[in-house]
Amino acid sequence: MPPPSPLPSLNVSHLAISPDLPDFVAFLAAALVAISLALLAVELRRRERDGALILVTGILALVALCLAIARPVRISAREIQIGARVLVLADASRSMALMDGKQSRADVRDRALKEFASNARDTRLSVMSFGEGAPHPWPTGAPMASTSRERQSDLSAALRTIEKSPEERPDAIVVVSDGRLTDPPETATRETLSALVSGLKVPIHSIATTRVAPADASIRAIRTAGAAVAHVPLPVHIEVGCAGDIECGDINIIARELRDDGAPAVLASGTAHLVKGVGAIDLTLTLDRAGNRIVEFAIKPPKGDTIAENNRRFVPIHVTRERIRLLHVAGRPTVDVRALRQWLKSDASIDLVTFFILRTPADDPHATQDELALIPFPVDELFSDHLPSFDAIVLQDFDALPYGLEQHLPGLARYVRSGGGLIMVGGPDSFVGGGYAGTPLADVLPVLLDKSPGAVAVDIAAFTPNWTDEGAATPVLAPFRAIIESELPTMTGANILGDLRPGAVALWTHPSHRTSSGKSMPVLAIGDIGAGRSIALGVDGAWALEYSLLGSQTGARGYGALWSGLLGWLMRDPRYESAQIEVGGCIAGAKSTLRIRTAATTESQAIVVDISRIDANAGDTPIKVEGAIEHGSALIELPPLPSGGYIAKAKLNGATTRQLFACEAGGDEWADTRPDPERLKAISEASGGVFRMASDVTRGIPLPAPTVISQERRVTAVAPPWLWGALAAIALGAHWIARRRGGLS
Amino acid sequence: MIRVRLVILALLSLPRVAHAFGEEGAFDPRVLITGAQTPPKSTGPARWALELSQRTSAPARLQPSVVRASDPKIVDGPFLYWSSREAAAPLTSTEIANLRRFFSLGGVLFIDDSGVNENGQPGPFAASSRREIARVLPETTPIALSPDHVLFRTFYLLRKPMGRVVSASPFEVIMRGGNVQVIFGSIDLAGALARTAMGGWESPLTPGGEMQREQAVRLAINIAMYVLCTNYKDDQVHAPFLMRRRTRLPFGMP
Repeated sequence: MPPPSPLPSLNVSHLAISPDLPDFVAFLAAALVAISLALLAVELRRRERDGALILVTGILALVALCLAIARPVRISAREIQIGARVLVLADASRSMALMDGKQSRADVRDRALKEFASNARDTRLSVMSFGEGAPHPWPTGAPMASTSRERQSDLSAALRTIEKSPEERPDAIVVVSDGRLTDPPETATRETLSALVSGLKVPIHSIATTRVAPADASIRAIRTAGAAVAHVPLPVHIEVGCAGDIECGDINIIARELRDDGAPAVLASGTAHLVKGVGAIDLTLTLDRAGNRIVEFAIKPPKGDTIAENNRRFVPIHVTRERIRLLHVAGRPTVDVRALRQWLKSDASIDLVTFFILRTPADDPHATQDELALIPFPVDELFSDHLPSFDAIVLQDFDALPYGLEQHLPGLARYVRSGGGLIMVGGPDSFVGGGYAGTPLADVLPVLLDKSPGAVAVDIAAFTPNWTDEGAATPVLAPFRAIIESELPTMTGANILGDLRPGAVALWTHPSHRTSSGKSMPVLAIGDIGAGRSIALGVDGAWALEYSLLGSQTGARGYGALWSGLLGWLMRDPRYESAQIEVGGCIAGAKSTLRIRTAATTESQAIVVDISRIDANAGDTPIKVEGAIEHGSALIELPPLPSGGYIAKAKLNGATTRQLFACEAGGDEWADTRPDPERLKAISEASGGVFRMASDVTRGIPLPAPTVISQERRVTAVAPPWLWGALAAIALGAHWIARRRGGLS
Repeated sequence: MIRVRLVILALLSLPRVAHAFGEEGAFDPRVLITGAQTPPKSTGPARWALELSQRTSAPARLQPSVVRASDPKIVDGPFLYWSSREAAAPLTSTEIANLRRFFSLGGVLFIDDSGVNENGQPGPFAASSRREIARVLPETTPIALSPDHVLFRTFYLLRKPMGRVVSASPFEVIMRGGNVQVIFGSIDLAGALARTAMGGWESPLTPGGEMQREQAVRLAINIAMYVLCTNYKDDQVHAPFLMRRRTRLPFGMP
């Protein structure tokens, strides 16, 4: 707040009654004078002579008596006039960057500000910008671009902030804007506007920058819940509009999900029929994959459209799972299978579909089919029609060859790459033993499999797995470690697994077995595969965490914590991510910030984030940005990015975490490019202010009068009190003599 | 693949104390002994494991283990088989504590009275074992098991329990958390399965017949499958198939 700038001072002087008298004395004296005059008039009728003398002496006596009571003083002082405080709220939203011919709305705004300031020299003028939330001091001399980048134009929030501010309240507010405000909305009633401005009790004048709408067809609004449930249809209401010198009939709209594993997937499309430049359409989207998704809505504009940026909008939608839908397939029933099924069934958030192979072609049950409780294994149905409906697949000790799964392995690999989860649990019929080496499914496991003809499938030596550094540090197994205190049970053997695939992380390794590269053989490994994730657990003895002395001591909680962590990581549960990435509202062409949060750590750690496009220009070269994590957090500045969808990937402790985000050129502020001077006019009328167009500012805006402040005040008695008393006594005595002479008592 | 199977079969043939990869989680009809009880010499549990491995895909330990109730290793597996002709001695506090740990992990205990006579009259073990289990799980009460329970359709479709004798009454069970944890039977199931060293059946059946012997084997396999798969056959995906087959079974067929 700028300090008051006083106008030139004036020396003034005036008479007043003695300051020691209370205010009511003046009224009392006036009443007594009135009563005395009335009585004098009555008595004059009874006089015998000298009526004029009696009247004059009576009046003089009353005056002298009043002066004796009032004891007049002279007050002299130096008076200062302080200009009224006028607050200008200038619109700094992105809509001010729109062009009206050769000049932008921001150019007009800045010129209007200058002209208004020159007409308001007798005021204390302060200029603030409004956009999102509270207003900010106007950056004097800043380039136009920096004063038209706010993502909203929330005038209501700015006015409420001023109303609640403990600072001096302005005597008048002047709003300079195009009128296309986020709040109050276009539909606000007069009552709403009155309620908004009534708390301030000051006039709000407004200056509109333009009345001219550009020739533009745009997506004006997309209304949908910000969150969706996977596999559940999500209704979306889309409003499109045309304005300016442009002809619009029907406009086609298409909704596509931007994917980091391939081309955008079309979710829905339709045609909006425009009447009087406005149309709407309802689409239904079904998103299958959980997490933050980016949906692009695009229209094909008619000829003459001058603003291309608002023909495409990006909407982030957080997709959650109502329940995790899991397919659990086991090649034979074992205690390991029992333990996993028991745990999965005990979790109410898991919708479990189970298929166990209870009889192989080699088994003879000595019974007819009708005497058996066995059903055919619907491998084709499960792994083709229903595969997309599952969030994750668990293959436990399952041989791909005898049951026809081999032909579905390419589809299963595609399912993982496009966002699905896969867990392969060990056993004689898992990994190499299950015939997976050299198949498309092997390509989506976090470990390599030996596909040579003589490949050994299992190692039968008993062992206790070792923790890797990554395994000890990962949040995936942190709850598990807290329960078992890093003690792992002895396993009776392991599947032979190869080296880690690039990007994968080993959490447990074999103490003696080495891979072909000489590294410790992974026993438990996790890895990101395209948009999906997979886990390889190369043992079948995890059930020992439940049925053992260790399990008894821990109440079998260790087994549950192990699988909670693995399944949670597979489903991208934030609790098990190595880090969380957030991108603050990205404006195309402007710098933005990316924040990374990790579990609290005091160690400084360098981190590299890869930024890649996932929209139509997905082939563009990825950008690498670097930062340092201090105390569990890093704030990294992103360079200006073009409009589009992006994925940010960061690797921490070997594990990768990612986040989708989008940058828009116009955003909500360019959705409707028409100016709205009528809204500004309505706000001014509701508050008793005036409305002007920017071209008409010179007509003037009524400004409040300055405030007068007295300084160096001096009080001097006109005469001493005894003199006033003596004069009153003399005057009363003269009046008494005149009355006696006139025959009055 | 063939190489893997050969390796495993070779390992199975070796006399090992520890079990090979893939066999640690095999079904083990572990025999429970309490107090001064001596390990039974019945070959019934071994036959149980053999029939399971020959008729189903489930692996089984062909040399079932024996565990004392006082041994902390009682919690090393999800199944125990407790059978005797004699009355069960009162359980010690250690045995009670160990059994409680076993049940707290979800273990299943099959108590079978091998002293039941030809008329179905239970031996002294039946009542004494119930008395001792009541001390282990005092807050529970045995209930009759419905013929519709998943135990009777985990692999074979069965109607009622049969062993060396045909039970006049259904199984009674103790259920906890929706799962069967204790099965009380008086059918001498191991007696029906046991064979002599010469390969013949160890005990005659009452009333008798190969059908009864087959039904006993099927019940043993269903119990093993219940231990390994729990209520898998209760999953909705199986319901329409099994309902149709149930209706096709002839009246009176077990």
